[in-house]
Amino acid sequence: MTTAHGPLIGVSAPRRKNLELLAGKATYVADIGLEGQAYARVVRSSSAHARLLGVDCSDALRVPGVLDVITAADIDDIRIPIRLPFAESPEANRALQAPLARDVVRYVGEPVAVVVATDPYVAEDAAELVLVDLEEMDPVVDTATAGEPGRPRLHSSLGSNTVNQLAFRYGDIDAAFAEADIVVRRRLRVHRLAAAPMETRGLVADYDRNSGVLTLWGGAKVKHFTRSLLARVLGLEPDKVRVVEVEVGGGFGTRGEPYPEDVLIAWLARRLERPVQWIEDRWEHMVATNHAREQEHDIELAATAEGQMLGFRVRGWCDHGAYIRTQGLLPVVLPMLHMPGPYQWQAFSMDLDAVLTNRTPVGTYRGPGMTEATFVRERMVDILAAELHMDPADLRRRNLIPAESMPFVFNPGPGSSGVMPIAYQSGDFVESFDEMLAAADYHELRAGRQRARSRDGKAGVGMAVYIEFAAVGPFEEVDIICDGRGVTVRAGVGSVGQGVETALAQIAAELLGAELEDVSVEFHDTAEIPQGFGAFASRSTVLVGNAIAAAVNEIRIKSAELLGCGPDGIELHRGNATGPDGRTVPLAELGGVRGRFDKDGLTASFGGAVCSASVDPADGRVRLDRFLVAHDVGRAVNPRLLRGQLAGAASQGIGGALFEELAYDDNGQPLSVTLADYMMPTAAELTPVDLAVIEHGSPSNPLGIKGGGEAGMVGSLGAVVNAVADAIGDGADLLSSSVSPARVWRALNHQSSLDGAGRPAMET
Amino acid sequence: MKPAPFAYAAAESLEEVLALLGEAGDDAKLLAGGQSLLPLLAYRLARPSHVIDIGAVPALDAIDERDGRLRVGALVRHAALERCELNGRWQAVREAAALIGHLPIRMRGTLGGSLAHADPAGELGVVATALDADIVLRSVRGERTVPAAEFFIAPLITAAAPDEVLVEARFTAPAGGFRSVFEEFSPRVGDFAYASVAAGCRVDADGAAHDVRIALGSVGPTPIRASAAEESLTGSALHDAAIAECARMAATACDPSAGDWHADGEYRRALVASLVERALTRLRDTP
Amino acid sequence: MAGWLAPDESVAVNLTVNGEARQAHAPPRRTLADALREEGFTSVHLGCEHGVCGACTVLIDGAPVRSCLMLAVQGRGHAIETVESLCDGDDLGALQQAFDDNDALQCGFCTPGFLMLIEGFLRLEPEASRQQIVEAVSSNLCRCTGAVGIVQAALDFQSTRRRSP
Repeated sequence: MTTAHGPLIGVSAPRRKNLELLAGKATYVADIGLEGQAYARVVRSSSAHARLLGVDCSDALRVPGVLDVITAADIDDIRIPIRLPFAESPEANRALQAPLARDVVRYVGEPVAVVVATDPYVAEDAAELVLVDLEEMDPVVDTATAGEPGRPRLHSSLGSNTVNQLAFRYGDIDAAFAEADIVVRRRLRVHRLAAAPMETRGLVADYDRNSGVLTLWGGAKVKHFTRSLLARVLGLEPDKVRVVEVEVGGGFGTRGEPYPEDVLIAWLARRLERPVQWIEDRWEHMVATNHAREQEHDIELAATAEGQMLGFRVRGWCDHGAYIRTQGLLPVVLPMLHMPGPYQWQAFSMDLDAVLTNRTPVGTYRGPGMTEATFVRERMVDILAAELHMDPADLRRRNLIPAESMPFVFNPGPGSSGVMPIAYQSGDFVESFDEMLAAADYHELRAGRQRARSRDGKAGVGMAVYIEFAAVGPFEEVDIICDGRGVTVRAGVGSVGQGVETALAQIAAELLGAELEDVSVEFHDTAEIPQGFGAFASRSTVLVGNAIAAAVNEIRIKSAELLGCGPDGIELHRGNATGPDGRTVPLAELGGVRGRFDKDGLTASFGGAVCSASVDPADGRVRLDRFLVAHDVGRAVNPRLLRGQLAGAASQGIGGALFEELAYDDNGQPLSVTLADYMMPTAAELTPVDLAVIEHGSPSNPLGIKGGGEAGMVGSLGAVVNAVADAIGDGADLLSSSVSPARVWRALNHQSSLDGAGRPAMET
Repeated sequence: MKPAPFAYAAAESLEEVLALLGEAGDDAKLLAGGQSLLPLLAYRLARPSHVIDIGAVPALDAIDERDGRLRVGALVRHAALERCELNGRWQAVREAAALIGHLPIRMRGTLGGSLAHADPAGELGVVATALDADIVLRSVRGERTVPAAEFFIAPLITAAAPDEVLVEARFTAPAGGFRSVFEEFSPRVGDFAYASVAAGCRVDADGAAHDVRIALGSVGPTPIRASAAEESLTGSALHDAAIAECARMAATACDPSAGDWHADGEYRRALVASLVERALTRLRDTP
Repeated sequence: MAGWLAPDESVAVNLTVNGEARQAHAPPRRTLADALREEGFTSVHLGCEHGVCGACTVLIDGAPVRSCLMLAVQGRGHAIETVESLCDGDDLGALQQAFDDNDALQCGFCTPGFLMLIEGFLRLEPEASRQQIVEAVSSNLCRCTGAVGIVQAALDFQSTRRRSP
């Protein structure tokens, strides 16, 4: 399916939009200024857990310029639902968040009231005058014990703070452990992180009384879900709600989910009948936008003396924060799905609990669940390798699922609950693993480590391998409209700053024989596009790309009917379909053609990261000398964009391991509310990320694509921490995914060791 | 994250500053480069009733070395201090200025603003403490000087009265080959340091150290002078064991309650020891 | 003698932005970043409003400065440059082109701030070493790219400017 200008899929076409972005002309949500626009400021809880005795707005209402102040008493008693049916439980559905707190506040930052004024400075002044009467209650801030009986309960409608319990039994776990020569046990902790895009969230809502249409700008990721939610909450027909995406300053999983503010700002615009803008400030962002990752796991791993990994048992607690938000139980579902990874286990037993604590709700952040599970498993593999005095690469390699076992399934056995089979459709993990080691020049890295050690240097090499499940269905639809030589593709996903429009245009142009510059991709406005599920789980290119392929097939069929030939005989070129006899029909005559791609299940792909690092014993500073990401993308549509995604995600992950942490004190007060405290890495701390892009085409879709937007993140915590532990040496028990300078220094100087949460470690 | 309201006046002379301070009462803030004040205003942690902009006041931006003292005007920007021609005697001043925040911060931030802000992590306060700086304060009542050791009282609190303006810092160092250096540890480039050290000494013909000065930052409510450590090294040759002993003693000068969730007190003390060691080794090894 | 401006007194603030005289109206507490945005310079992005992220970086008298850490009234009488000044008519300027060539942007939100940071730094230090450039680039935060492309863009731009200053 090539065209006169050669193939376009697989070409590093320049990214669209760059001109506008570089010239400073792009419009982000804060840049929208509508006639008569008012400004909202959210009043938030200063307490982690308290009874809400009253909210007095009278002083705030007297401030000149204030238009309105609302509390929970002003709006219907609704809850923001979970948008993924497979991520619900009855308990989770009793822990949903109301747009404004009612009766109890459950985390610092929870919305309590909203002030609207003619000026954002005035709105902030008035918000300070809203008097919130709180009666403090004991907060729950420890993940592992949050669900225990006797702990203060966050939601009185629940019997405990546990909202879901997943169990997965595979094989005969007791037999696997009985057979073992060695068992290693640890308590591992994954620390709390934030996606922290450079642009905070923001919204503009406007209600047009004449047409009865409410428009919301700023929702980006799951526009169609947001539209139905707002329609329901505001009592409007869905076609009277428009959700329009503008330029987005980074998403990474957190932006564009419907949050309390989406409901509140839309509601206020309708009530006031004038446009209302809300721009989250950075302090708010650090307490209001979904957090991620916080988990603890007791894990034990059984192996033979020769390094055959037989089985593992894990008992884990996944913090969901104070409420279950739109992504439901994904913070517990996804770690379970990704915990076994690419190894040929005889047996395993997993029990993961979803718990609530008095902290900001947890959602998904790039590489969700898989990053946490990969850290836990891969850290244990390295601990085992150290015990066995084996090269960690050899230990991994001999336990990978061999290619001849594909497709491979871990089926849940008796005693399992709430889980699905874990299925890998394709891949040659061993070959991919060897490609990764070769690309990383692993043996040279190990030799360099030895050379550094002979000079008393603290140098280490670490790695992590993983399976990433991505490209979740159920489906996407596109409309393709040909008009002369121009082609318009309308799709329901969203752009969250990742450049997906360029990759989709490449697919459409190649399949239609069009020039790339003649293809425009539109997905910004729910009023103009078919349904869609959104931009998450690295699904956009896979789902929409294949929907485009389906639409093009439809175009072939339709034009073949007109030309009286079979669809395979059709050649598409620059807006025309030509039959074998040379007769031609302009595609413009076909009108809009819809294509749809349905996808069952998830696409699994193999990947890994290799890291070499050195540590300074004097101050605990970690220097990364090399970082490589290997990932099987199936087929790279735009290698340059893909590399940008992989390297960017890896850099984010490296920052998460080395510097970033959302810390809380014992009272549930957040400690990381400035960007001086939430330390994201800069040019001075980051290292170039090398990439090994593996292309083992996926059988799960005609284009053979797998996901790529998140993969760079998945192995990052595991690889960095393993490298640092190797550098410290002497079996350093690094049990937290954070290797901040302070933690590394402590590990170097107190090798008696604590577990990731600061408690004495379990014995090996 | 928008500042709370305040009245504002831009002064064009020192006399105007003093007059405006008199009018404004006790809740006034002076605005120089604004690099410490503006973040406090944005978080509404500072809510002055009046802000007096001294940015255009003339003759406060001189750097002048005479009579064995380095006089730096309050409005000298960190970027200027970091780039000025100073000999090794004042090297710690330049090195400290170069480590304050990032480039855009240093383009605006001023010496006076940094000292008056009195953040225990502030680099220039540590140098001022090591180099026995006199802080020159002016008010309608006249001019007085306060030694750095008495100027810093607690985090964000100084000896300056509400009607006083900091106009100059006069750093002091002995003649005859005295040199100074500055070292700090920050997790990322430009972060607030977890620990910092300003150190100086004069090495005599026999290799013995004299006029030893060591001050520590970020390990107490104010910069701390490590006097016992200084004494331990005075008259001694700068060999490794002496340096290590001095570093160990410096660490004991840290406030035991210093530290936060990023870096606890024990870690900061260890950093101080390693920074003192590094600073003294540089003083010994750099010609 | 200069008098007091009352807290809610909106005053005329004469600014020179990209060579053009502008009169903004702002009460004393309005930040320069907000005032510039209200004047239509929405390339000045607000990422943190407390001086850490650098998305609002502009040049003041040629020096890169965080415009969220200045009051609008402090901008009076100074020459301000924003990213719009880097364009060459409808085309990208050399630094912007170097960003495009090196994949130094993804979402684009931090980009105007980085462009002004590097433009200002290399005016100040045209012969800066790679290490100095890395340190200067570390002043601002980019969450998408990993910043390596940004450093390379700055290095490329430095050599372009050396060839044709």
